[in-house]
Amino acid sequence: MARIGVFVCHCGENIARTVDVAKVAEFAGKLPNVVYSTHYVYMCSEPGQKLIRDAIAEKNLTGVVVAACSPHLHERTFRNACQMAGLNPYLCEMANIREHCSWVHQDREVATEKAKELVAYIVEKVKRNKPLKPIRLPVTKRALVVGGGIAGIQAALDLADAGIPVTLVEKQPSIGGNMARLSETFPTLDCAQCILTPRMVEVKQHPNIELLTYSEVVEVSGYVGNFKVKILRKPRYIDENLCTGCGDCAAVCPVDVPNEFDRNLAWRKAVYLPFPQAVPQIYTIDAEHCLNTPKMFPLVCERCYEVCAPKAINYDDKPKIVEREVGVIILATGYELYPAEQVREYGYGKHPDIVDSLEFERLLSASGPTGGEVHRPSDGKVPKEVVFIQCVGSRDPANGVPYCSKICCMYTAKHALLYKRKVPDGRAYVFYMDIRAGGKGYEEFIRRVMEEERVLYIRGRVAKVIPENGKLLVEGVDTLSGQRIEIAADMVVLAMAMVANSNELVQKLRVATDEYGFAQEAHPKLRPVETLTSGVLVAGVVQGPKDIPETVAQASGAAAKALTLLTKDVLEREPTIAQVNEQTCVGCFECQRVCPYGAIERKEIRDRQGNLIKIVAHVNEGICEGCGACVVACRNKSMDLAGFAEEQIFAELAAVI
Amino acid sequence: MRLKRKPIVEPLVRVQGRVIIHEERCKGCGFCIEFCPKKVLAASPKFNSKGYHPPYAAKPDECVNCNLCFLVCPEFAIYSIPADEREIRVVFAPSVPATLAEAAGEE
Repeated sequence: MARIGVFVCHCGENIARTVDVAKVAEFAGKLPNVVYSTHYVYMCSEPGQKLIRDAIAEKNLTGVVVAACSPHLHERTFRNACQMAGLNPYLCEMANIREHCSWVHQDREVATEKAKELVAYIVEKVKRNKPLKPIRLPVTKRALVVGGGIAGIQAALDLADAGIPVTLVEKQPSIGGNMARLSETFPTLDCAQCILTPRMVEVKQHPNIELLTYSEVVEVSGYVGNFKVKILRKPRYIDENLCTGCGDCAAVCPVDVPNEFDRNLAWRKAVYLPFPQAVPQIYTIDAEHCLNTPKMFPLVCERCYEVCAPKAINYDDKPKIVEREVGVIILATGYELYPAEQVREYGYGKHPDIVDSLEFERLLSASGPTGGEVHRPSDGKVPKEVVFIQCVGSRDPANGVPYCSKICCMYTAKHALLYKRKVPDGRAYVFYMDIRAGGKGYEEFIRRVMEEERVLYIRGRVAKVIPENGKLLVEGVDTLSGQRIEIAADMVVLAMAMVANSNELVQKLRVATDEYGFAQEAHPKLRPVETLTSGVLVAGVVQGPKDIPETVAQASGAAAKALTLLTKDVLEREPTIAQVNEQTCVGCFECQRVCPYGAIERKEIRDRQGNLIKIVAHVNEGICEGCGACVVACRNKSMDLAGFAEEQIFAELAAVI
Repeated sequence: MRLKRKPIVEPLVRVQGRVIIHEERCKGCGFCIEFCPKKVLAASPKFNSKGYHPPYAAKPDECVNCNLCFLVCPEFAIYSIPADEREIRVVFAPSVPATLAEAAGEE
């Protein structure tokens, strides 16, 4: 005979304001099998938990119902309390009378009635709860970091320093990501390359890091602690172990290609290093542009082969798939800029002197096409009037994305400052909507740019940029003075929005994304580096726009979370997963067809002589997420969900109806 | 589709080649036009004396002297040389003597 205790929480005022908690507790006490009921102002606090523990001991409870907030928030808290009192934690359930009741109703009487029903049906469920044991799984002590930008580099280094072997996968021939493109970083004006390249070298030299560049993750299977990852190593046509990075091949290569690293503002050869400080220092033959295109057959040109002293060039290189077993995956795939040509009124693409922010970074960078001097792309002259437009694509649901890209205010100020440093007699104008300079030293930096560097900040949007007589006519409105403004500029810099790097990997990992393609964290406040797919963590802009310090902080956070998983010998998982009744299962595998996680396996049942009797479904405990799709699909009710058995669900429904 | 920005700096030092075409030898198979990796060649509208359209260098600046045209030409009618080299006129052996007397140097 079940002995249930019901504990009703006030949640301060949150529940008690609209629900008469005393009445709910009184009602619950009269329900069959309920032997104890009470209410308390903060059930999740230590005195509240003690109330539960004491009641379990005194009343010898076999089940606990806590009527409070969402189980998402505090189910673990209360289950732990039950466990401390010696009760199996899965005999404790929550009735959500906050989100489902008090927060959404105003009428006190109606809300109280609803709260009673919510409690009543959970009581029915708990009566039928069975003690469950967490599933224990082994852990592979290796981490996979996807993306070799600053986020991936930081996460990989932190994990490797803690003694965890790391595989770092980067799509491009070199690690470094977008940060390697930057000139200097706000607000301290540290040169981006100077602070990044030592970290890149550290990655290359670290004994615990396996660096796979020019590679992509193509397939992920398995589950937390035991992922199996297939990585495609794209053919470099150059032996990574032999190449010394001398560059003799590039010197003789006859093919010029615009360099993507320089945002196409400079050239590279078909055999190339993206930038001189690239890590690893291994050249790559770009099969798309090499004369031997498309598949290095027929061989037209072998000049690189002829000059290569270590004979590293191998035209017969083929794509390879390598497999790794890892315990956790950190996604750090970063961002790209919103395509500037899609904001048509600013004329990007129509005139070469309208540039986006990363192109301007390359123009400012000492390693850029102009060696750090500002020249405009059309004729190479030094621009004397430069207009910076903020929020291009950002905060603009009609033309771009509705969110704020967070870093544009700061990098535009940095652009304007660096421009004024390089062209002291030039004039810089910044059109802005709002200045969002929330960060250490950020507001001071903006002030400095406005006041000391005499950059003219104009609050208002630019309506149009019109190329006219070799100038760019910028038409805008100063909304503070209400005047229309026209500036004949030499160059226009568009502070483009950041958008999530479109990649299928996020989908392959079944990581939820928000409506803009950024990975969804498990909890916006309390679990910012985890995703809802356990074992998959996020770092950097893949989760949302952020600047370098935040990215690095999140990467270290992700590394710490990865460590908490990887330093355990076994992982415990929630046991609320599907279970097969092998006696009744007929092996139709309808469940396998509907399972979104691929958790259903085939299991052979044999007699003692080893003769095959039948093949039945088997649930892989590591993969099953307990969604229940198989339970619905099963034709003869051989599937059931632990903790949410059909018997329990029907009892709940009966209590409500 | 992203717009392609054009580089603002001069191209890197590059091998510049020049195609030499013996128009009279051409029989218009078009292999060189088809296989040229930089798509330098195109069929000329004019005829040679055999009535074929020989190729011509439509984008001469693009040639990188890979000499693939030479390799694919069944008639040895085309080849490439570095652009800064003078064209070497291949002088074939004088034609076979018409008569034995000529060969003997008698008139």
